Amino acid sequence: MFLKAIIGLVGITALWGAAVPIFDVPHYLLPGPIDVAERLIFLFQRGDLAWHIYVTLSEVFGGFVLGAVVGIAAALAFARFPLIERVLTPLILLLQTIPKIAIAPLLLLWLGLGAAPKVALVAVVTFFPVMTAMLSGIRYMNKSYADLSHVLRLSPWQRFWHIELPAAIPTLFAGATVATTLAMTAAVIGELMGANKGMGFVLATGQENADTATVMGMVILLSFVGWALFAILDFARRRVEDRFL
Amino acid sequence: MIKIEQLSKIYGQGDDQVVALEPLDQQINAGEFVSIIGPSGCGKSTLLRLIASLEDPTSGSVTLETANLKRPVGFVFQDAVLLPWKTVAENIRFPLDTTGVSRKQANEKVAELVELVGLKGFEKSLPKQLSGGMRQRAAIARALADDPPILLMDEPFSAVDLLTRETLNDELSRIWQKTGKTILLVTHSVEEAAYLGSRVMVMSPRPGRLKATYDVDLAQPRGEQTKRDPKFLDLVSELRTLMREMTS
Ligand SMILES: Nc1ncnc2c1ncn2[C@@H]1O[C@H](COP(=O)(O)OP(=O)(O)OP(=O)(O)O)[C@@H](O)[C@H]1O
Ligand SMILES: [Mg+2]
Repeated sequence: MFLKAIIGLVGITALWGAAVPIFDVPHYLLPGPIDVAERLIFLFQRGDLAWHIYVTLSEVFGGFVLGAVVGIAAALAFARFPLIERVLTPLILLLQTIPKIAIAPLLLLWLGLGAAPKVALVAVVTFFPVMTAMLSGIRYMNKSYADLSHVLRLSPWQRFWHIELPAAIPTLFAGATVATTLAMTAAVIGELMGANKGMGFVLATGQENADTATVMGMVILLSFVGWALFAILDFARRRVEDRFL
Repeated sequence: MIKIEQLSKIYGQGDDQVVALEPLDQQINAGEFVSIIGPSGCGKSTLLRLIASLEDPTSGSVTLETANLKRPVGFVFQDAVLLPWKTVAENIRFPLDTTGVSRKQANEKVAELVELVGLKGFEKSLPKQLSGGMRQRAAIARALADDPPILLMDEPFSAVDLLTRETLNDELSRIWQKTGKTILLVTHSVEEAAYLGSRVMVMSPRPGRLKATYDVDLAQPRGEQTKRDPKFLDLVSELRTLMREMTS
């Protein structure tokens, strides 16, 4: 699979490289792959690109952890107290229908131009898939585990830590996979709208300067970083999942 | 002591109602070993679940006189219910881990129990790597881990091969004599019920209710000689006749 992906990538890059001179596309519209690669290398060497990647990743990571913790806590509260769920679910569904891009300006206004609004936006998009995953993990948990918890008189925390959380691991991974893709997008959107660092910031700067090579380079880089996050998560899932199924 | 008063259970509503247990009165003294037999669907599991307060009774009550212990009962479920993400040793240790017993003490207890149920060498295995009978034995070890005064066992040996079953029967009998636990054992085996019990409760289905109780007047400790005792053989054949009447 990995090999096929590389062959596909090489093929597309070759087509792209060939198309630029053949159709005589102006460079400011479509630079060739070599131009883009050179630009990326330049940005790494002279423009702190590694640091910008680090900034974006830390926003993604911070927001993801925050959103996941709140999502898991909310799912627990819903599972334990159905009344809370009945009251809050319509509100959460309503909030879910708001396009996340529309929240970004609001968060920037409230939280400034630093990392906080990006972390918050990532947390918002992570919350929902993780919350629903945890909730269905608890809902469809083997009923006998509840009997065991009762017989052993487990405290709510013990029940969560020893039973509900591990029982929900497979669905949580499914939720987290959805969440990472959204999280990456959310961080970049936040940065595009107002930031002085991060991958989205570099992208926005490229756009302002009509620097197509930078913009294309960043888009490619973003998809690689997104793919890497996905791959790490998938690796972790494979490592633990067969123990939890 | 377990005091059962007018205890009944109806599952479902309206047309779907199932009378799982008709009002039942029974007093089980501390240190008794009560075997419960009866055809499928006569409410044996329901009775145990009610005693463990895993179900709310439709009427009546169960009173456990166990000096307000935090965990008065150990329960061996009909289908083991091991946690698949924990190893055999971790599963057995679970009741100890959740009551703040020290790691060292817990591990010693686990080693002892693993030996007792014959799972040596499988401590690090996951439940799914075990056979049904081995899982059941791990579940028995777990129920014994924190030494509850009352042990409720729902067909604990149904998936265990005959030879192991006899060994476990003798072990259970020995544990009971040594610890003075109150044990309620549901079984489909008439011999097992008579061999282990100090009393046998026979239940009948549709609706589930108590049909008869027998005091088992056989010498302790039980052993191979018990199985040749005419009193044992008489009881077994009487129970068997009763069971046959109910299922025909
Ligand atoms: N959760 C439930 N909902 C509805 N009906 C139930 C439920 N649990 C048990 N019953 C019904 O109650 C009756 C008694 O069930 P129970 O499981 O106590 O029988 P049992 O004696 O343990 O049978 P077996 O020997 O097959 O385990 C059965 O008719 C069963 O269908
Ligand atoms: Mg049953």
